[in-house]
Amino acid sequence: MELTALGLGLLGVALAEPASRMLAAARWPGRDPVVALLLWQAVGLGGGISLFGAGLAYGLSPMGDSLPSATAAFAVSVANGVWPPVMDPLHVGALLIALGVLIRLLSVLVITTMRTLRARRRHRDLLDVLATPWPHASGTRVLDHPVPVAYCLPGRSSRLVVSAGVLDTLDTAGVVAVLAHERAHLRERHDLVVLPFVAWGATAPFVRGMVCAQLAVARLIEMRADDVARKLCDPTELATALKEVGGSAPAAALSSFTDALEARIDRITAPPAPLPVVVRWLVRLVALALVVVPLALLLVH
Amino acid sequence: MSGVTSLGELERAVMNVLWETDRDMTAREVQDQLADRDLATTTVLTVLGRLERKQLVHRIRDGRAHHYRPVASREDHVAELMSDALDDASDRGAALARFLGTMSDEERSRLRDLLG
Repeated sequence: MELTALGLGLLGVALAEPASRMLAAARWPGRDPVVALLLWQAVGLGGGISLFGAGLAYGLSPMGDSLPSATAAFAVSVANGVWPPVMDPLHVGALLIALGVLIRLLSVLVITTMRTLRARRRHRDLLDVLATPWPHASGTRVLDHPVPVAYCLPGRSSRLVVSAGVLDTLDTAGVVAVLAHERAHLRERHDLVVLPFVAWGATAPFVRGMVCAQLAVARLIEMRADDVARKLCDPTELATALKEVGGSAPAAALSSFTDALEARIDRITAPPAPLPVVVRWLVRLVALALVVVPLALLLVH
Repeated sequence: MSGVTSLGELERAVMNVLWETDRDMTAREVQDQLADRDLATTTVLTVLGRLERKQLVHRIRDGRAHHYRPVASREDHVAELMSDALDDASDRGAALARFLGTMSDEERSRLRDLLG
């Protein structure tokens, strides 16, 4: 099982670092954000399974030839009150590290979720008292502030918000276009799409690949929301609205951010050619393999 | 202008009364300010209770009377919402707020580092 552990460890590291960086830098995801987001989920999940599995497999390798049999042998032995002598500190250490990382990841996920839910409830309470309904679109509220901001508050009781600054900058059609984009975030629960990557980033912020993954996923959900909005309203209307609201930001605004916005706007008016069907299926297969292969290595042997 | 108004709408109306009045108010005084809505005192008390639970108003006991006071000004709360929305947007995509507006220097440099 040491070989399995080595293989899984290499796969996990490869996914967390070079693969994440390469995928974050690649250009094709912009041609099909949905397929790319699927691949990202597989990279995150497969990477997690591989790294955790590697520690588990190495730690339990003295106990048997496969993870299920080794786990059973270890459990039986411990249940009988006998510590298996083959379980030396090195293997026990590997086991503890694997479990520690898993517990850390899960607790970060739980804490992040709880904190987010609490902050959202507070934000919603304030919004309901402060923001006034916007008559031109149902479920939209206006916050009286001159800085142009449009955003959505996800959750079961979601809210769409535009600031007065947005209404000053855009005409009704423009605001509707921006809202179509926000509504896509809400309907497709993009907050849940980013959640695993936020947890990974918070668990291991020192791994640059994780940070790249977070940024890439955030960029992709914006593109996806643009794609949805473009089908619901006039693309040039959407592009103009984004440009005008974005353009009212101070000139000092971060250049790479405005670059990213510019690239997004170009993408709306001149969408890139969609990925060939074969490539789309290939990516889906790779995504499936990234999750199935490490699981199979661990469980079937 | 009564009957079908939602609780959320009433909460907004009561907060507006408290914000526009420069002193602590009793439920009765709030009710009087909203006389055109024809609200029952219990309704006003319910709304004030909800606002207190949401930490939007303080209840101050003064002898046998209870006075209510906004926890913060409307402007402070709007600023809180705006900074929430902007923070989330710069928080490595943790939330979905997009900021089309201003960023602080610190946020900007953090984002620049990340995108570097």
